[in-house]
Amino acid sequence: MAVGKPAKHAVEELTEGQQNRRRMLAWLSSVGLFGSAIISAISNLVFIKPRATYGAPNRFGIGKPDDFPSGTRIALGEHRVCIVREGDKLCAISTTCTHLGCIIAPSETGFACPCHGSRFDQDGNVTGGPAPKPLPWYALSLAPNGELEVDKGTEVGAGTYLKV
Amino acid sequence: MSQATKLPKPGLLTTLKEFPGNVWSSIFRHSLPNSDLGRSQTSFTNFFLHIHPVKVNRNTLKPWYTLGLGLMSFFLFVILTVSGILLMFYYVPATTQAYDRMLDLRGSVAFGTFLRNMHRWGAHFMVAIVFLHMCRVFFTGSYKKPREFNWVVGVMLFLLTLFSSFTGYLLPWDQLAFWAITVGTAIAGYAPVVGQDMRFLLLGDYTVGQEALLRFYVLHIAVLPLLVTVLVSIHFWRIRKDGGLSRPADADAPPQPEIPKKENLAEWPRELEPVAVTASAAPAVNGVPALAVAAKTVAPVLPIEKKHYGIQGLVRGPFTKVGNVPENSVFSWPNLFMAELFVLVLTIAGVLVVSLLFNAPLEEPVNVLHPPNPAKAPWYFLGLQEQVSYSAFWGGVGVPGLEVLILLLAPYLDRSNKGVGKWFAKERLLPNTLFLIFVIVNIVLIIIGTFFRGPNWEFVSPW
Repeated sequence: MAVGKPAKHAVEELTEGQQNRRRMLAWLSSVGLFGSAIISAISNLVFIKPRATYGAPNRFGIGKPDDFPSGTRIALGEHRVCIVREGDKLCAISTTCTHLGCIIAPSETGFACPCHGSRFDQDGNVTGGPAPKPLPWYALSLAPNGELEVDKGTEVGAGTYLKV
Repeated sequence: MSQATKLPKPGLLTTLKEFPGNVWSSIFRHSLPNSDLGRSQTSFTNFFLHIHPVKVNRNTLKPWYTLGLGLMSFFLFVILTVSGILLMFYYVPATTQAYDRMLDLRGSVAFGTFLRNMHRWGAHFMVAIVFLHMCRVFFTGSYKKPREFNWVVGVMLFLLTLFSSFTGYLLPWDQLAFWAITVGTAIAGYAPVVGQDMRFLLLGDYTVGQEALLRFYVLHIAVLPLLVTVLVSIHFWRIRKDGGLSRPADADAPPQPEIPKKENLAEWPRELEPVAVTASAAPAVNGVPALAVAAKTVAPVLPIEKKHYGIQGLVRGPFTKVGNVPENSVFSWPNLFMAELFVLVLTIAGVLVVSLLFNAPLEEPVNVLHPPNPAKAPWYFLGLQEQVSYSAFWGGVGVPGLEVLILLLAPYLDRSNKGVGKWFAKERLLPNTLFLIFVIVNIVLIIIGTFFRGPNWEFVSPW
């Protein structure tokens, strides 16, 4: 090593153009790195979001209108729907509580939720408890084979009856 | 190489004889210490002990200061990890098998009931102890600078503890599990904007079923424990970097020596100065030797020893506390380690006794059509359930969200540095009162939810 001057290391004077180029390269590589990190994070979300589900179908037959005599309120548990018949008028009211998804049971005055105490009247309007919305009514139709068919994918206004 | 420096080749017999000792000393570099040097070396040549400082402040060891709650939470996490891994040998996350596997644990697996009890009660303990630990840290003002971020990590660990417990709830696939998850994920659905998507991602479907069981299982055994492990590591590392546990400001001060009273002044040793020596010829005044009179201007030598410990003395900046305050600290070995061992034994004993005496509940198998009436969440969520029975959004999302936000921001909002390291310090009356109100309100809600709610969530009297 030379004795007089201290050895000069690789400290080179950069021209403005060189500095700009380095800065741009650093910027590009960080964009590339963080960009790919974000994209892979999003791809995880896409991965865990199922494209198909295997739940129960939304449309199903429930039997002949004669199975539901006038004045009955029959809750079909597995479908989470209550079939109401008064005279020649039929309707299907949801039995899933609009509060937190508990199954509600028909009661003297309408429907009652065992989990958080929501109350509904015969038409599904909220009469008490924390439920924010009335119970939805589902479209009910008569299939060609004479069976009643409920379509849980289609909500209808309260008071919409099927006449048989 | 000369013949003289060559070591004699050890015989086979010697090798065999020294084998156990050699293996032992290759793992443990130091035998049990009997000197200060040994105490330091034992602490930092062992990986697990190295997490600790060589010396700790005396305040750290006061049992009524920390109550060992943080350590207890950690040991409970270890107990849960071990018992959880053992349970994984017998569990299948399938709706058709999960419940039967629970019955198998009870009926045909050796110690099955006992392990399940340990896992279940350990989880209950952990929720309680982590919460109490948070209370301790707040009431002693220990979240203050420089520990703000460690408090934030701690709050996240509390939330992860709750979430781990919640995801574990579904796995037995009994009635309680099914309805707790139905309700819990419905609450998540009330979150603004992302609520419904979050619920769908959690359940993997629109209703609670096989996909939900599998998802909760993966979260419970892999994702959440991993997050907890990472955050616990950061939590512990930060404690070291922030100079150990918080303590009152005067805990760092060297012990004040007795200030000699005027009449006893003569008895204290004095530094000899040339001036004093030359004055020795002067006559005695009032019985006090002339030497002392001459030395009046020289300060008495007070019994403070200045100690310096190795390289730590050279490191500058706020981070290295070791060696800065040696007077009020004691060696971790054995003082701290004995205290930790005591907490470990206490924790294990508690979990074992409760697991032997009480069996973890297992309700009826899932019946998707009939929620139990009333469908109650585990006790630590009953306060939430009580709130939710007034309003799903405010009780389940709004109020808890605000509470968490305030907890996270607490050290950044309360920036005075008064009253750190003391329980219920007078200077912290306002923040401590606010926190106490938060704690009491939640406890009261839990009590109402537990004892005062009957079928259809109607108000009943437990008497």
